[in-house]
Amino acid sequence: MDNPMNSAAQLLLMLTFSVGLGGHSLPAKAAGDVARGADVFAQECAECHSPREGKNKKGPSSFGVVGRKAASLPDFVYSDAMKQSGIVWNAQKLDAYITSPRAVVPGGKMKYDGLDNAQERTDLIAYLSSLR
Amino acid sequence: MLSRLDRMPLVRAPLLALVLFAGLMPAAHALPAFARQTGQECAACHVGAYGPQLTPYGVAFKIGGYTDSNGQAGHVPLSAMLLGGFTHTGADQQDPPTAHTHRNDNFTVDEVSAFLAGKLTEQLGAFIQATYDGVEQRTALDHADVRFAHAMQLAGKDTVLGISVNNNPGVQDPFNTMPVWGFPYTGPAVGFGGGDAATLINGGLEHRVLGASAYAFWNNSLYGELGTYRALSPSVQSITGQGRGDDMGRLGGDTAYWRLAWMQDARKQAFQAGVFGLRTSIQPDRLSSGPRDHYDDLGVDASYQFLGTRKHVATVATSYIRERQTSDALFASGDAASRKVSLNEFRLNASYYYDQTWGLSAGRFLTVGKRDPLRYADGFANGSPNTSGYVLQADWTPWGKEDSWGAPWANLRLGVQYTMFDRFNGAKHNYDGNGRDASDNNTLFLFAWTSF
Repeated sequence: MDNPMNSAAQLLLMLTFSVGLGGHSLPAKAAGDVARGADVFAQECAECHSPREGKNKKGPSSFGVVGRKAASLPDFVYSDAMKQSGIVWNAQKLDAYITSPRAVVPGGKMKYDGLDNAQERTDLIAYLSSLR
Repeated sequence: MLSRLDRMPLVRAPLLALVLFAGLMPAAHALPAFARQTGQECAACHVGAYGPQLTPYGVAFKIGGYTDSNGQAGHVPLSAMLLGGFTHTGADQQDPPTAHTHRNDNFTVDEVSAFLAGKLTEQLGAFIQATYDGVEQRTALDHADVRFAHAMQLAGKDTVLGISVNNNPGVQDPFNTMPVWGFPYTGPAVGFGGGDAATLINGGLEHRVLGASAYAFWNNSLYGELGTYRALSPSVQSITGQGRGDDMGRLGGDTAYWRLAWMQDARKQAFQAGVFGLRTSIQPDRLSSGPRDHYDDLGVDASYQFLGTRKHVATVATSYIRERQTSDALFASGDAASRKVSLNEFRLNASYYYDQTWGLSAGRFLTVGKRDPLRYADGFANGSPNTSGYVLQADWTPWGKEDSWGAPWANLRLGVQYTMFDRFNGAKHNYDGNGRDASDNNTLFLFAWTSF
Protein backbone atom coordinates (compact mmCIF):
# COMPACT_ATOMS: atom_id res chain seq x y z
CA MET A 1 0.00 0.00 0.00
CA ASP A 2 1.31 3.46 -0.90
CA ASN A 3 2.36 5.81 1.81
CA PRO A 4 -0.49 8.39 2.06
CA MET A 5 2.03 11.16 2.74
CA ASN A 6 3.89 10.40 -0.50
CA SER A 7 0.60 10.48 -2.40
CA ALA A 8 -0.28 13.83 -0.93
CA ALA A 9 3.13 15.21 -1.85
CA GLN A 10 2.82 13.91 -5.39
CA LEU A 11 -0.65 15.44 -5.69
CA LEU A 12 0.63 18.80 -4.46
CA LEU A 13 3.53 18.64 -6.90
CA MET A 14 1.19 17.81 -9.78
CA LEU A 15 -1.14 20.63 -8.84
CA THR A 16 1.70 23.07 -8.63
CA PHE A 17 3.10 21.93 -11.96
CA SER A 18 -0.25 22.03 -13.69
CA VAL A 19 -1.05 25.47 -12.32
CA GLY A 20 2.34 26.61 -13.56
CA LEU A 21 1.63 25.29 -17.03
CA GLY A 22 -1.66 27.05 -16.93
CA GLY A 23 0.19 30.30 -16.71
CA HIS A 24 -0.73 31.42 -13.21
CA SER A 25 1.64 33.20 -10.94
CA LEU A 26 2.76 30.40 -8.72
CA PRO A 27 6.06 29.70 -10.51
CA ALA A 28 7.03 33.34 -10.22
CA LYS A 29 6.04 33.43 -6.59
CA ALA A 30 8.02 30.30 -5.93
CA ALA A 31 11.18 31.58 -7.60
CA GLY A 32 10.93 35.31 -7.05
CA ASP A 33 11.58 37.41 -4.02
CA VAL A 34 8.73 39.82 -3.35
CA ALA A 35 10.85 42.30 -1.38
CA ARG A 36 13.49 42.44 -4.08
CA GLY A 37 10.71 42.70 -6.62
CA ALA A 38 9.36 45.75 -4.82
CA ASP A 39 12.77 47.36 -5.23
CA VAL A 40 12.83 46.48 -8.92
CA PHE A 41 9.36 47.99 -9.26
CA ALA A 42 10.57 51.19 -7.58
CA GLN A 43 13.59 51.36 -9.88
CA GLU A 44 12.02 50.36 -13.16
CA CYS A 45 8.27 50.89 -13.05
CA ALA A 46 7.07 53.27 -10.35
CA GLU A 47 7.56 56.46 -12.35
CA CYS A 48 4.70 55.39 -14.61
CA HIS A 49 2.79 52.72 -12.64
CA SER A 50 1.29 52.72 -9.19
CA PRO A 51 0.86 49.59 -7.07
CA ARG A 52 -2.29 51.13 -5.59
CA GLU A 53 -5.70 49.95 -6.68
CA GLY A 54 -7.43 52.47 -8.91
CA LYS A 55 -4.37 54.74 -9.20
CA ASN A 56 -3.49 55.23 -12.84
CA LYS A 57 -0.48 57.33 -13.72
CA LYS A 58 0.97 57.56 -17.18
CA GLY A 59 0.61 53.80 -17.17
CA PRO A 60 -2.30 51.83 -15.69
CA SER A 61 -2.35 50.66 -12.08
CA SER A 62 -0.30 47.54 -11.47
CA PHE A 63 -2.63 46.39 -8.74
CA GLY A 64 -4.07 43.01 -9.67
CA VAL A 65 -2.32 42.95 -13.02
CA VAL A 66 -1.53 39.23 -12.78
CA GLY A 67 -4.52 37.44 -14.23
CA ARG A 68 -5.98 40.63 -15.65
CA LYS A 69 -7.00 40.97 -19.27
CA ALA A 70 -4.93 43.55 -21.11
CA ALA A 71 -6.52 46.97 -21.63
CA SER A 72 -9.32 46.16 -19.22
CA LEU A 73 -9.18 49.02 -16.73
CA PRO A 74 -12.14 51.20 -17.64
CA ASP A 75 -10.64 54.55 -16.65
CA PHE A 76 -7.32 54.28 -18.47
CA VAL A 77 -6.68 55.25 -22.09
CA TYR A 78 -4.89 52.33 -23.74
CA SER A 79 -3.28 52.18 -27.17
CA ASP A 80 -5.17 50.44 -29.93
CA ALA A 81 -2.39 47.88 -30.09
CA MET A 82 -2.86 46.96 -26.45
CA LYS A 83 -6.63 46.81 -26.83
CA GLN A 84 -6.27 44.39 -29.72
CA SER A 85 -3.55 42.25 -28.18
CA GLY A 86 -5.90 39.77 -26.54
CA ILE A 87 -3.36 39.23 -23.79
CA VAL A 88 -4.20 37.96 -20.35
CA TRP A 89 -1.33 38.90 -18.06
CA ASN A 90 0.06 35.68 -16.65
CA ALA A 91 3.62 35.26 -15.46
CA GLN A 92 4.94 34.14 -18.83
CA LYS A 93 3.32 36.98 -20.74
CA LEU A 94 4.50 39.51 -18.20
CA ASP A 95 8.02 38.13 -18.39
CA ALA A 96 8.04 38.43 -22.16
CA TYR A 97 6.49 41.89 -22.09
CA ILE A 98 8.86 43.25 -19.46
CA THR A 99 11.79 41.80 -21.41
CA SER A 100 10.80 43.61 -24.59
CA PRO A 101 7.50 45.50 -24.58
CA ARG A 102 7.59 46.38 -28.23
CA ALA A 103 8.22 42.80 -29.31
CA VAL A 104 5.09 41.62 -27.49
CA VAL A 105 2.85 44.60 -28.27
CA PRO A 106 4.13 46.35 -31.38
CA GLY A 107 2.64 49.82 -31.52
CA GLY A 108 2.03 49.98 -27.79
CA LYS A 109 2.74 53.25 -26.06
CA MET A 110 4.86 52.07 -23.14
CA LYS A 111 8.21 53.82 -23.54
CA TYR A 112 10.39 51.24 -21.91
CA ASP A 113 13.29 49.41 -23.52
CA GLY A 114 12.96 46.31 -21.36
CA LEU A 115 14.58 44.61 -18.40
CA ASP A 116 17.35 42.21 -19.38
CA ASN A 117 18.03 40.69 -15.98
CA ALA A 118 15.97 37.47 -15.69
CA GLN A 119 16.19 37.28 -11.90
CA GLU A 120 14.99 40.85 -11.56
CA ARG A 121 12.06 40.05 -13.83
CA THR A 122 11.21 37.03 -11.73
CA ASP A 123 11.37 39.07 -8.54
CA LEU A 124 9.30 41.79 -10.14
CA ILE A 125 6.60 39.35 -11.23
CA ALA A 126 6.55 37.87 -7.74
CA TYR A 127 5.93 41.37 -6.42
CA LEU A 128 3.22 42.04 -9.02
CA SER A 129 1.60 38.77 -8.03
CA SER A 130 1.41 40.02 -4.47
CA LEU A 131 -0.55 43.11 -5.49
CA ARG A 132 -4.05 41.88 -4.89
CA MET B 1 27.53 91.06 -15.48
CA LEU B 2 25.90 90.08 -12.30
CA SER B 3 24.62 87.04 -10.66
CA ARG B 4 20.92 86.71 -11.20
CA LEU B 5 20.52 86.61 -7.43
CA ASP B 6 22.39 89.75 -6.72
CA ARG B 7 21.02 93.23 -6.20
CA MET B 8 24.08 95.27 -5.34
CA PRO B 9 24.20 98.26 -7.70
CA LEU B 10 27.95 98.42 -7.95
CA VAL B 11 28.89 98.27 -11.59
CA ARG B 12 29.32 100.93 -14.19
CA ALA B 13 29.37 99.09 -17.49
CA PRO B 14 25.92 99.48 -19.07
CA LEU B 15 25.46 95.82 -19.84
CA LEU B 16 26.41 94.87 -16.32
CA ALA B 17 23.78 97.18 -14.95
CA LEU B 18 21.29 95.69 -17.34
CA VAL B 19 21.99 92.21 -16.14
CA LEU B 20 21.65 93.36 -12.58
CA PHE B 21 18.19 94.61 -13.33
CA ALA B 22 17.21 91.65 -15.45
CA GLY B 23 18.34 89.18 -12.89
CA LEU B 24 16.26 90.28 -9.96
CA MET B 25 13.97 87.30 -10.03
CA PRO B 26 15.47 84.00 -8.97
CA ALA B 27 14.66 81.06 -11.16
CA ALA B 28 12.14 78.79 -9.50
CA HIS B 29 9.89 76.18 -11.01
CA ALA B 30 7.94 73.15 -9.92
CA LEU B 31 4.64 72.75 -11.58
CA PRO B 32 1.66 70.71 -10.42
CA ALA B 33 0.08 71.41 -13.82
CA PHE B 34 2.57 68.92 -15.27
CA ALA B 35 1.71 66.41 -12.55
CA ARG B 36 -1.99 66.73 -13.27
CA GLN B 37 -1.40 66.33 -17.00
CA THR B 38 0.76 63.22 -16.76
CA GLY B 39 -0.74 61.58 -13.70
CA GLN B 40 2.77 61.44 -12.27
CA GLU B 41 3.85 62.78 -8.93
CA CYS B 42 6.40 65.64 -8.82
CA ALA B 43 9.03 63.13 -7.71
CA ALA B 44 8.88 61.33 -11.05
CA CYS B 45 10.36 64.30 -12.87
CA HIS B 46 12.24 66.10 -10.09
CA VAL B 47 15.00 65.10 -7.70
CA GLY B 48 13.73 65.72 -4.18
CA ALA B 49 10.13 65.88 -5.42
CA TYR B 50 10.43 69.59 -6.25
CA GLY B 51 11.69 71.45 -9.30
CA PRO B 52 13.66 72.30 -11.15
CA GLN B 53 16.30 69.55 -10.95
CA LEU B 54 15.19 66.94 -13.48
CA THR B 55 15.42 63.18 -13.37
CA PRO B 56 15.90 61.38 -16.71
CA TYR B 57 12.12 61.05 -16.84
CA GLY B 58 11.81 64.81 -16.47
CA VAL B 59 14.46 65.35 -19.12
CA ALA B 60 12.42 63.27 -21.57
CA PHE B 61 9.24 65.16 -20.66
CA LYS B 62 10.86 68.52 -21.38
CA ILE B 63 12.43 67.36 -24.63
CA GLY B 64 9.04 65.96 -25.61
CA GLY B 65 7.69 69.49 -25.55
CA TYR B 66 5.80 69.27 -22.25
CA THR B 67 3.13 67.27 -24.13
CA ASP B 68 3.33 63.84 -22.54
CA SER B 69 0.10 63.00 -20.73
CA ASN B 70 -1.96 60.18 -19.29
CA GLY B 71 -4.32 60.44 -22.24
CA GLN B 72 -7.17 61.89 -20.26
CA ALA B 73 -8.87 65.01 -21.58
CA GLY B 74 -9.65 68.16 -19.69
CA HIS B 75 -6.31 69.09 -18.22
CA VAL B 76 -5.95 72.83 -17.67
CA PRO B 77 -2.33 73.87 -18.27
CA LEU B 78 -2.19 76.46 -15.52
CA SER B 79 -0.15 76.66 -12.33
CA ALA B 80 0.85 79.20 -9.73
CA MET B 81 3.83 79.58 -7.45
CA LEU B 82 4.81 81.57 -4.39
CA LEU B 83 8.31 82.08 -3.02
CA GLY B 84 9.13 84.08 0.05
CA GLY B 85 11.69 84.16 2.79
CA PHE B 86 13.88 85.84 5.33
CA THR B 87 17.35 87.09 4.43
CA HIS B 88 20.21 87.97 6.75
CA THR B 89 23.65 89.10 5.59
CA GLY B 90 26.91 88.96 7.54
CA ALA B 91 26.95 92.73 7.83
CA ASP B 92 24.36 95.37 7.04
CA GLN B 93 24.42 96.44 3.42
CA GLN B 94 25.59 99.96 2.69
CA ASP B 95 22.16 100.90 1.41
CA PRO B 96 18.83 99.08 1.39
CA PRO B 97 18.93 96.76 -1.65
CA THR B 98 15.63 98.16 -2.90
CA ALA B 99 13.29 100.98 -2.03
CA HIS B 100 11.06 98.69 -0.02
CA THR B 101 13.62 96.80 2.02
CA HIS B 102 16.01 97.33 4.91
CA ARG B 103 19.78 97.17 5.06
CA ASN B 104 19.51 93.75 6.70
CA ASP B 105 17.10 91.11 8.05
CA ASN B 106 14.44 91.35 5.38
CA PHE B 107 11.23 89.39 5.13
CA THR B 108 10.24 89.35 1.47
CA VAL B 109 7.73 87.91 -0.95
CA ASP B 110 10.20 87.23 -3.73
CA GLU B 111 7.99 85.78 -6.43
CA VAL B 112 4.34 85.30 -7.16
CA SER B 113 4.11 83.54 -10.50
CA ALA B 114 1.44 82.31 -12.85
CA PHE B 115 2.25 79.71 -15.48
CA LEU B 116 0.84 78.54 -18.74
CA ALA B 117 2.49 75.16 -18.60
CA GLY B 118 1.81 71.93 -20.39
CA LYS B 119 0.28 70.41 -23.46
CA LEU B 120 -1.49 72.77 -25.85
CA THR B 121 -1.90 70.34 -28.76
CA GLU B 122 -0.59 66.84 -29.42
CA GLN B 123 2.82 68.18 -30.39
CA LEU B 124 2.85 71.70 -28.98
CA GLY B 125 3.57 72.58 -25.38
CA ALA B 126 4.52 75.60 -23.34
CA PHE B 127 6.22 76.79 -20.22
CA ILE B 128 5.45 80.49 -19.87
CA GLN B 129 5.87 82.26 -16.55
CA ALA B 130 4.71 85.70 -15.52
CA THR B 131 6.04 86.91 -12.19
CA TYR B 132 5.21 89.59 -9.71
CA ASP B 133 8.42 90.54 -7.95
CA GLY B 134 7.41 91.47 -4.44
CA VAL B 135 10.76 93.09 -3.73
CA GLU B 136 10.74 95.38 -6.73
CA GLN B 137 6.95 95.48 -6.74
CA ARG B 138 6.64 94.98 -10.45
CA THR B 139 5.34 92.32 -12.82
CA ALA B 140 7.17 90.99 -15.84
CA LEU B 141 7.31 88.13 -18.26
CA ASP B 142 9.69 85.59 -16.74
CA HIS B 143 10.99 82.44 -18.41
CA ALA B 144 9.18 81.46 -21.60
CA ASP B 145 9.71 78.33 -23.66
CA VAL B 146 7.22 77.20 -26.30
CA ARG B 147 8.02 73.91 -27.99
CA PHE B 148 6.97 71.80 -30.92
CA ALA B 149 8.14 68.19 -30.66
CA HIS B 150 7.74 65.33 -33.09
CA ALA B 151 8.54 61.72 -32.18
CA MET B 152 9.81 59.38 -34.88
CA GLN B 153 12.20 56.54 -35.61
CA LEU B 154 15.65 57.32 -36.96
CA ALA B 155 18.06 54.50 -37.75
CA GLY B 156 15.73 52.22 -35.84
CA LYS B 157 15.89 54.28 -32.66
CA ASP B 158 13.41 56.54 -30.91
CA THR B 159 14.05 60.12 -31.91
CA VAL B 160 12.48 63.43 -30.97
CA LEU B 161 12.85 66.39 -33.31
CA GLY B 162 11.79 69.71 -31.92
CA ILE B 163 11.78 73.47 -32.07
CA SER B 164 11.95 75.77 -29.07
CA VAL B 165 11.02 79.44 -29.10
CA ASN B 166 12.22 81.06 -25.89
CA ASN B 167 13.45 84.24 -24.24
CA ASN B 168 16.64 83.17 -22.49
CA PRO B 169 19.59 81.19 -23.88
CA GLY B 170 19.72 77.98 -21.87
CA VAL B 171 16.17 78.05 -20.50
CA GLN B 172 15.35 75.33 -23.01
CA ASP B 173 18.19 73.07 -21.87
CA PRO B 174 16.99 69.82 -20.27
CA PHE B 175 19.95 69.37 -17.93
CA ASN B 176 20.65 71.21 -14.67
CA THR B 177 24.23 72.16 -15.34
CA MET B 178 23.97 75.41 -17.30
CA PRO B 179 23.42 78.62 -15.32
CA VAL B 180 19.70 79.08 -16.00
CA TRP B 181 18.69 75.87 -14.22
CA GLY B 182 21.83 75.21 -12.21
CA PHE B 183 22.28 74.97 -8.45
CA PRO B 184 21.26 76.79 -6.34
CA TYR B 185 17.75 76.56 -7.73
CA THR B 186 16.53 79.49 -5.75
CA GLY B 187 18.23 82.20 -3.76
CA PRO B 188 17.91 85.42 -1.82
CA ALA B 189 16.48 88.34 -3.77
CA VAL B 190 17.92 90.84 -1.31
CA GLY B 191 21.14 89.04 -0.38
CA PHE B 192 24.18 87.82 -2.25
CA GLY B 193 24.25 84.80 -4.52
CA GLY B 194 27.48 85.56 -6.33
CA GLY B 195 29.85 88.32 -7.37
CA ASP B 196 29.04 91.12 -9.75
CA ALA B 197 30.80 89.66 -12.77
CA ALA B 198 29.28 86.81 -14.74
CA THR B 199 29.39 85.41 -18.22
CA LEU B 200 26.81 86.43 -20.78
CA ILE B 201 25.20 82.98 -20.84
CA ASN B 202 24.74 83.34 -17.09
CA GLY B 203 21.71 85.57 -17.30
CA GLY B 204 23.14 88.31 -19.50
CA LEU B 205 20.39 88.13 -22.11
CA GLU B 206 17.65 86.89 -19.82
CA HIS B 207 14.14 87.89 -20.92
CA ARG B 208 15.32 90.65 -23.26
CA VAL B 209 15.76 88.44 -26.29
CA LEU B 210 13.66 86.11 -28.38
CA GLY B 211 15.19 83.11 -30.05
CA ALA B 212 14.45 79.88 -31.81
CA SER B 213 16.39 76.67 -31.85
CA ALA B 214 16.00 73.28 -33.46
CA TYR B 215 16.93 70.20 -31.50
CA ALA B 216 17.12 66.44 -31.80
CA PHE B 217 17.23 63.74 -29.15
CA TRP B 218 18.26 60.38 -30.54
CA ASN B 219 17.96 57.00 -28.83
CA ASN B 220 17.28 58.67 -25.48
CA SER B 221 20.98 59.51 -25.42
CA LEU B 222 22.33 61.99 -27.93
CA TYR B 223 21.06 65.57 -27.72
CA GLY B 224 21.95 68.28 -30.20
CA GLU B 225 20.60 71.81 -30.58
CA LEU B 226 21.32 74.88 -32.69
CA GLY B 227 19.59 78.24 -32.49
CA THR B 228 19.82 82.00 -32.69
CA TYR B 229 18.47 85.06 -30.84
CA ARG B 230 17.45 88.63 -31.51
CA ALA B 231 17.10 91.41 -28.96
CA LEU B 232 13.60 92.59 -28.17
CA SER B 233 12.99 96.20 -29.09
CA PRO B 234 12.81 98.68 -26.20
CA SER B 235 9.08 99.05 -26.69
CA VAL B 236 8.52 95.30 -26.49
CA GLN B 237 10.74 95.13 -23.40
CA SER B 238 8.52 97.77 -21.89
CA ILE B 239 5.42 95.71 -22.69
CA THR B 240 6.90 92.54 -21.18
CA GLY B 241 7.75 94.40 -18.01
CA GLN B 242 11.52 94.42 -18.31
CA GLY B 243 11.61 98.17 -18.84
CA ARG B 244 13.02 100.03 -21.81
CA GLY B 245 15.45 102.05 -19.72
CA ASP B 246 17.80 99.13 -19.31
CA ASP B 247 17.82 98.02 -22.93
CA MET B 248 21.16 96.36 -23.62
CA GLY B 249 21.17 97.19 -27.31
CA ARG B 250 20.95 95.13 -30.45
CA LEU B 251 22.29 91.62 -30.94
CA GLY B 252 24.34 90.82 -33.99
CA GLY B 253 22.88 88.78 -36.80
CA ASP B 254 25.48 86.10 -36.28
CA THR B 255 24.23 85.20 -32.78
CA ALA B 256 24.44 81.45 -32.28
CA TYR B 257 23.49 79.16 -29.40
CA TRP B 258 24.44 75.51 -29.58
CA ARG B 259 24.40 72.41 -27.42
CA LEU B 260 25.67 68.85 -27.70
CA ALA B 261 25.20 66.30 -24.91
CA TRP B 262 25.16 62.60 -24.21
CA MET B 263 22.86 61.07 -21.59
CA GLN B 264 22.88 57.51 -20.33
CA ASP B 265 19.75 56.53 -18.42
CA ALA B 266 20.23 53.21 -16.63
CA ARG B 267 17.14 53.87 -14.46
CA LYS B 268 19.02 53.10 -11.25
CA GLN B 269 21.49 55.79 -12.21
CA ALA B 270 22.04 58.31 -14.96
CA PHE B 271 24.97 60.16 -16.44
CA GLN B 272 25.23 63.17 -18.72
CA ALA B 273 28.10 65.06 -20.29
CA GLY B 274 28.16 67.78 -22.88
CA VAL B 275 29.40 71.01 -24.37
CA PHE B 276 27.54 74.23 -25.13
CA GLY B 277 28.17 77.69 -26.46
CA LEU B 278 26.81 81.16 -27.06
CA ARG B 279 28.40 83.53 -29.52
CA THR B 280 27.05 86.98 -30.13
CA SER B 281 27.78 90.68 -30.33
CA ILE B 282 25.91 93.54 -28.71
CA GLN B 283 25.58 96.98 -30.18
CA PRO B 284 24.64 99.18 -27.19
CA ASP B 285 23.55 102.24 -29.19
CA ARG B 286 21.53 100.17 -31.72
CA LEU B 287 23.11 102.16 -34.56
CA SER B 288 24.32 100.13 -37.48
CA SER B 289 27.63 101.96 -37.54
CA GLY B 290 28.18 101.80 -33.81
CA PRO B 291 30.85 99.68 -32.15
CA ARG B 292 30.01 96.26 -30.77
CA ASP B 293 30.95 94.13 -27.81
CA HIS B 294 31.64 90.55 -28.81
CA TYR B 295 31.06 87.58 -26.53
CA ASP B 296 32.13 84.00 -27.15
CA ASP B 297 31.06 81.61 -24.39
CA LEU B 298 32.13 77.98 -24.42
CA GLY B 299 31.07 75.54 -21.71
CA VAL B 300 31.57 71.94 -20.72
CA ASP B 301 29.35 70.15 -18.22
CA ALA B 302 28.65 66.78 -16.67
CA SER B 303 26.28 65.32 -14.12
CA TYR B 304 25.60 62.02 -12.39
CA GLN B 305 22.50 60.83 -10.54
CA PHE B 306 22.19 57.78 -8.35
CA LEU B 307 18.47 57.05 -8.26
CA GLY B 308 18.18 53.46 -7.04
CA THR B 309 14.75 52.79 -5.54
CA ARG B 310 14.38 56.55 -5.03
CA LYS B 311 14.74 56.05 -1.29
CA HIS B 312 18.28 57.43 -1.42
CA VAL B 313 19.04 59.78 -4.30
CA ALA B 314 22.41 61.42 -4.78
CA THR B 315 23.53 63.79 -7.50
CA VAL B 316 26.72 65.50 -8.62
CA ALA B 317 26.91 68.21 -11.29
CA THR B 318 29.62 70.45 -12.63
CA SER B 319 30.17 73.02 -15.33
CA TYR B 320 32.95 75.21 -16.60
CA ILE B 321 32.36 78.23 -18.86
CA ARG B 322 35.07 80.22 -20.57
CA GLU B 323 34.05 83.54 -22.04
CA ARG B 324 36.19 85.62 -24.36
CA GLN B 325 35.15 89.24 -24.74
CA THR B 326 36.24 91.69 -27.40
CA SER B 327 34.67 94.91 -26.18
CA ASP B 328 34.94 97.55 -28.87
CA ALA B 329 31.93 99.49 -27.57
CA LEU B 330 32.97 99.46 -23.92
CA PHE B 331 36.49 100.43 -24.92
CA ALA B 332 35.26 103.27 -27.11
CA SER B 333 33.07 104.66 -24.32
CA GLY B 334 35.87 104.47 -21.79
CA ASP B 335 34.24 101.68 -19.79
CA ALA B 336 37.00 99.19 -20.49
CA ALA B 337 40.76 99.53 -20.31
CA SER B 338 41.36 96.49 -22.50
CA ARG B 339 39.43 95.46 -25.57
CA LYS B 340 40.01 91.78 -24.92
CA VAL B 341 39.41 90.02 -21.64
CA SER B 342 38.36 86.56 -20.55
CA LEU B 343 36.11 85.38 -17.76
CA ASN B 344 35.85 81.86 -16.39
CA GLU B 345 33.11 80.32 -14.26
CA PHE B 346 33.33 76.99 -12.49
CA ARG B 347 30.60 75.27 -10.52
CA LEU B 348 30.48 71.98 -8.67
CA ASN B 349 27.59 70.83 -6.55
CA ALA B 350 26.26 67.67 -4.95
CA SER B 351 23.04 66.72 -3.24
CA TYR B 352 21.52 63.89 -1.28
CA TYR B 353 17.80 63.31 -0.76
CA TYR B 354 16.29 60.81 1.64
CA ASP B 355 12.86 59.46 0.84
CA GLN B 356 12.43 62.24 -1.74
CA THR B 357 11.75 64.52 1.19
CA TRP B 358 14.84 65.50 3.18
CA GLY B 359 17.63 67.12 1.22
CA LEU B 360 21.17 68.32 1.76
CA SER B 361 23.09 70.15 -0.97
CA ALA B 362 26.47 71.78 -1.22
CA GLY B 363 28.04 73.75 -4.02
CA ARG B 364 31.29 75.48 -4.89
CA PHE B 365 31.34 78.45 -7.25
CA LEU B 366 34.35 80.22 -8.68
CA THR B 367 34.60 83.16 -11.08
CA VAL B 368 38.02 84.18 -12.33
CA GLY B 369 38.89 86.73 -15.00
CA LYS B 370 41.42 89.11 -16.38
CA ARG B 371 41.82 92.37 -14.48
CA ASP B 372 40.45 95.53 -16.02
CA PRO B 373 40.31 98.64 -13.80
CA LEU B 374 37.63 100.35 -15.88
CA ARG B 375 35.44 97.36 -16.64
CA TYR B 376 35.52 96.28 -13.01
CA ALA B 377 35.69 99.65 -11.31
CA ASP B 378 33.31 100.74 -8.53
CA GLY B 379 32.82 98.00 -6.00
CA PHE B 380 35.69 95.88 -7.30
CA ALA B 381 39.15 95.56 -5.81
CA ASN B 382 42.15 95.96 -8.10
CA GLY B 383 39.98 95.78 -11.20
CA SER B 384 39.47 92.10 -10.59
CA PRO B 385 36.20 90.22 -11.20
CA ASN B 386 37.23 87.24 -9.08
CA THR B 387 34.62 85.79 -6.72
CA SER B 388 34.47 82.42 -5.02
CA GLY B 389 32.50 80.73 -2.31
CA TYR B 390 30.23 77.95 -1.19
CA VAL B 391 26.49 77.35 -0.98
CA LEU B 392 25.00 74.98 1.59
CA GLN B 393 21.33 74.09 1.67
CA ALA B 394 19.03 71.87 3.68
CA ASP B 395 15.41 71.50 2.68
CA TRP B 396 12.23 69.63 3.47
CA THR B 397 9.69 68.72 0.82
CA PRO B 398 6.81 67.00 2.59
CA TRP B 399 4.57 66.63 -0.48
CA GLY B 400 5.07 65.82 -4.14
CA LYS B 401 5.01 62.04 -3.75
CA GLU B 402 2.34 59.64 -4.94
CA ASP B 403 0.57 59.41 -1.62
CA SER B 404 1.20 62.98 -0.52
CA TRP B 405 -1.45 65.25 0.82
CA GLY B 406 -2.81 67.47 -1.92
CA ALA B 407 -1.27 65.53 -4.81
CA PRO B 408 -1.27 66.50 -7.60
CA TRP B 409 -2.59 69.93 -6.67
CA ALA B 410 0.01 71.31 -4.32
CA ASN B 411 3.65 71.08 -3.42
CA LEU B 412 5.86 72.73 -0.83
CA ARG B 413 9.53 73.11 0.00
CA LEU B 414 10.89 74.72 3.13
CA GLY B 415 14.60 75.33 3.22
CA VAL B 416 17.58 77.06 4.71
CA GLN B 417 20.41 78.18 2.47
CA TYR B 418 23.73 79.71 3.42
CA THR B 419 26.05 81.33 0.89
CA MET B 420 29.55 82.17 2.08
CA PHE B 421 32.26 83.98 0.20
CA ASP B 422 35.99 83.60 0.49
CA ARG B 423 36.48 86.25 -2.20
CA PHE B 424 34.10 88.85 -3.58
CA ASN B 425 34.68 91.21 -6.52
CA GLY B 426 38.42 90.73 -6.45
CA ALA B 427 39.36 90.59 -2.77
CA LYS B 428 38.82 88.85 0.52
CA HIS B 429 38.99 92.11 2.49
CA ASN B 430 37.87 95.63 1.68
CA TYR B 431 36.78 94.78 -1.82
CA ASP B 432 34.77 97.99 -2.23
CA GLY B 433 37.27 100.42 -0.77
CA ASN B 434 34.87 101.19 2.06
CA GLY B 435 36.01 98.41 4.36
CA ARG B 436 33.51 95.76 3.32
CA ASP B 437 34.85 92.21 3.39
CA ALA B 438 33.75 89.26 1.31
CA SER B 439 32.43 87.53 4.41
CA ASP B 440 30.18 90.52 5.12
CA ASN B 441 28.15 89.32 2.15
CA ASN B 442 27.62 85.84 3.58
CA THR B 443 23.90 85.34 3.28
CA LEU B 444 21.46 83.26 5.26
CA PHE B 445 18.22 82.64 3.40
CA LEU B 446 15.24 80.90 4.98
CA PHE B 447 12.61 80.20 2.36
CA ALA B 448 9.17 78.80 1.78
CA TRP B 449 8.40 77.79 -1.77
CA THR B 450 5.04 76.46 -2.79
CA SER B 451 3.22 75.76 -6.02
CA PHE B 452 -0.26 74.78 -7.10
